[in-house]
Amino acid sequence: MSTVVTPPPVHVPLDARPTEPAPLRAKRKRLSRFVLPVYTALLMVYLVSPILMMILYGFNDIPGERQTPRFWGFTLDWYRSVFSDPALNEAVRNSIMIALVAAAIATPLGTTLGLALGRYGFRGKAAVSFLIFMGIAIPEIVLGSSLLSMYVQVQAPLGLLTILLSHIAFDTPFVAVVVRARVQGMDRSLEDAAQDLFATPLVAFRRVTLPLILPGIMSGFMLAFVLSLDDFVITNFVSGQVRTLPIWVYGATKVGLPPLVNVFGTLLFVAGLFLALLSALSQRKQA
Amino acid sequence: MSAPKKEPDLRRMQEILRRRLTRRGFIRGAGVGVAGISLGSVLAACGGQTTPGGGGAVEPTDVFGGPPEGQVEWANWPVYIDKAKDPQTGERYSPSLRAFEDQTGTTVNYAEIIQENASFFGKIQPQLAAGQETGWDIIVMTNGWEFQALVVNDWVYPLDTTKRPNFDANANDWAKSPPFDEGAKHSMTYQSGITGIGVNRDLVTAEIATLDDLADPDKLPPNSVGMLKADMADFVMINLGIDPETSGPQEWQEAADWLQMQRDSGVVRQYYEQNYADDMTAGNLAATMAWSGDVFYYAEWGGYPNLEFVFPEGGAYMWADCFMIPAGAAHPVSAMSLMDYYYDPVPATMVQEWVFYMSPVEGTRDLILQHAADAEEAGDKGYANKLTETANNEYLFPTEELLARTSFGRQLKTDEEKAEWDAIFLPISE
Amino acid sequence: MATTVARSRKTVRPHGIEARRRHVAYGLLAPGGLWLVIFFVVPVVIMGYTSLKSGGVLSGGFSFSWEFENYVTALSSRQEYFLRSIVYAASTTVGTVLLAYPAAYWIAFKGGRWKPTLLFLILLPYFVSFVIRTVQWKFILADNGLVLGPLKDIGLLPDDFKVLSTWMGVIGGLVYNYLPFAALPLYVALERIDESLIEGAYDLYATPVHVFTKVIFPLSMPGVFAATLLTFVPATGDYVEAEFLGGPTTKMIGNIIQDEYLVQARYPVAAALAMVLMFGMVILTSLYARFIGTEDETLAAARI
Repeated sequence: MSTVVTPPPVHVPLDARPTEPAPLRAKRKRLSRFVLPVYTALLMVYLVSPILMMILYGFNDIPGERQTPRFWGFTLDWYRSVFSDPALNEAVRNSIMIALVAAAIATPLGTTLGLALGRYGFRGKAAVSFLIFMGIAIPEIVLGSSLLSMYVQVQAPLGLLTILLSHIAFDTPFVAVVVRARVQGMDRSLEDAAQDLFATPLVAFRRVTLPLILPGIMSGFMLAFVLSLDDFVITNFVSGQVRTLPIWVYGATKVGLPPLVNVFGTLLFVAGLFLALLSALSQRKQA
Repeated sequence: MSAPKKEPDLRRMQEILRRRLTRRGFIRGAGVGVAGISLGSVLAACGGQTTPGGGGAVEPTDVFGGPPEGQVEWANWPVYIDKAKDPQTGERYSPSLRAFEDQTGTTVNYAEIIQENASFFGKIQPQLAAGQETGWDIIVMTNGWEFQALVVNDWVYPLDTTKRPNFDANANDWAKSPPFDEGAKHSMTYQSGITGIGVNRDLVTAEIATLDDLADPDKLPPNSVGMLKADMADFVMINLGIDPETSGPQEWQEAADWLQMQRDSGVVRQYYEQNYADDMTAGNLAATMAWSGDVFYYAEWGGYPNLEFVFPEGGAYMWADCFMIPAGAAHPVSAMSLMDYYYDPVPATMVQEWVFYMSPVEGTRDLILQHAADAEEAGDKGYANKLTETANNEYLFPTEELLARTSFGRQLKTDEEKAEWDAIFLPISE
Repeated sequence: MATTVARSRKTVRPHGIEARRRHVAYGLLAPGGLWLVIFFVVPVVIMGYTSLKSGGVLSGGFSFSWEFENYVTALSSRQEYFLRSIVYAASTTVGTVLLAYPAAYWIAFKGGRWKPTLLFLILLPYFVSFVIRTVQWKFILADNGLVLGPLKDIGLLPDDFKVLSTWMGVIGGLVYNYLPFAALPLYVALERIDESLIEGAYDLYATPVHVFTKVIFPLSMPGVFAATLLTFVPATGDYVEAEFLGGPTTKMIGNIIQDEYLVQARYPVAAALAMVLMFGMVILTSLYARFIGTEDETLAAARI
């Protein structure tokens, strides 16, 4: 530290170094140990409140078919007959399958785009950014009808394939933006150092870059999954005779959502919770 | 609305000529379509593949001449058919449909895939315009501009009027030749209903019986009235004493003025596409334009006795959801027999007891009363009572007098009319 | 030893590495770019083509005729809806970013092993269809329902107060539905911040406010920018919340486009409106990007 010639070195204990004052640290601890977690918990409660309503109304003992805001009493009837509507079963299956596949394909496509936009300079960068912006800005009804027109012109059979192709198309820009946010301004010296030490750029990518951007990829995947699972307008146009859950549900709102929809929603939600629990437990096991 | 130009006429001439040139490519030529690239359409029209089944100038006997195909793809609205639970598989199915399948050995793929006329139309229109089949044999469309567009562009097959014995025997008078489809040449009514006023007696005690009551801030709390966008123009005209079917822009303006007055009075909560039922049952609406079947269902079977259906003094709007066979359908003959099957009173009653709308079939009332009697005998008094109520509901089985006070509204048959109509009425709900 | 080698390599590097980098960039762009060109650019071209057609659905269809008047028709007396949509969308962005930031922060820094799980939990409610979520909000926010009823009974709210069918319902619904679109990018950017930077700042006697405004927030700018992009832009064209939770006075440009397409069947006009909306959004966001100066700021910040 000091350049002046010092007397024989004295061992300076670590906690004598300048650090933040104690009261400040206590305040920070309060913030991070108490305020923020409570806030996050409250936020999650807010996010989940309509879901809780949905779960509740899955037990609604309504006289008849159509659901209304009134709660009549508890019944397990709907749970007993949850798989009784083959059309609804098929719609749910389709939705989940489409969302998984679309997200799985859109994620690498979007990741590579985000990487390129966030880290590299190249001619046409503005155009690609423009393209991504457009992908997020376009109103669904017009994109849906234009896609339909395109498929009809090339005489593509409307169904699962066209739905998938369309979903990947609108998922990709969202993934790209999320990955780009992760990657923008990222210090390339780490990668350069890796390239000095490792043999190929590919290995450098796998060992250094990929772990660094992994949260971005994961988030992109989840976002794409949710987008696809939830999509109604575009799917409605290009689905031909295939039904997905949003299409099924949207039609049912005209007459009041049948409690069966709530049951499925609850099952989906509970399945998701279960998955989250599993992943949390598996994280715990890691050292 | 652009001023009339010379150009459109030339274009229309070209369209017509192109139509006549190639019978095969008829559909493709007739509707270049939303995004039909002209060159592509011309190429297709000139030498492309055969349109499955053809359309337009096609004669019904060409389409319906063959033997039954043994399969039908039926697209319908949700909650629009009878449902029951199979005791063995636990699956929900339609008893009337299953009876048809057993009787004729036909497989029916029933899909509740229509949520709105407009979005379903938007979905099948590009295919029809390009001359492709939609995959559906039967679709159910409400009378309106989508219906007219399908007919005018020959995107639905003309029906073979010699192949519907049940229809000829049992159809109500008005169903035999409704104003929106003379001679029922392109459609057969499946269910029909009345748009009147749904009143929540918990929220309003004053009498709501006339049109002006719906705009009366003394009778109704502010922001408590619902209006149905698609029906309200005709509804208002009828109640103003105008006959919608012969009305012109002057009369439309009268109705629009009333609607604007209503909006200015502050009683309107929302202009609905069709999702008014949520607000009605939640108690957010004191009075709303409503469909008879909905109000009746909630009041009688849904546990909302506070809801009441009012037939306005000036008259009510009537609508019909109709079977149609899209051009290019692969199984028209079986489709036709399925459509005619629902004109037999037995299946028609099965449906009506679930759906609670007006049936175009004579004789359902007697059957419902009979079912009521059977239920009473079997000791199920509650069910019997409900059935009797259903049979005595004057909106499900309207008298001639009541029917005379309803109208199917203005049928918009040209783009100019539609554009003027939209220009007058749309700004009110925006 | 390695460093001397590296240094000498470094001096050779600028020329070859930039070229290689460009190749890599184009290689990365290829798959996603190709997909977007086929399944996005082509439909947009079709959309542009449609926007210049004329005709009608009852007169045999539409045909191309350089009908620029569609744009005039589309935009005439529609300014109100564009303005309202922008205001609603901006409120949505502010709301979602404000709500999501603290949670994203906590998960990013204190989440530890549970980060993926916590993120997943935030997204979980959105697995259920937006229709169901929005309808349930309608139940919750009914005029005299669960929330408003008791509040009115104890006199906290006037009797005729309502949330549904007003701007409150619409913006509330928008904020709710777009929250994950803000939370995820914010998390992703925050999680990248090296915690030792923050510790260092505190060690230098910076106040928490300073640490936030001078260190954390600037470093999270890419996330804020992405969050803004992913909420503001799609929210402007959204129609769902206004349709389910709104009233006659809350109509947005998305609803107008819906009407033009579905109710009026003026496909060319709807396409024209969508083109204007899209390009308007792109211009706005480009200006915003320039204003934020994202790239420069974070590049500078990253080189600390």
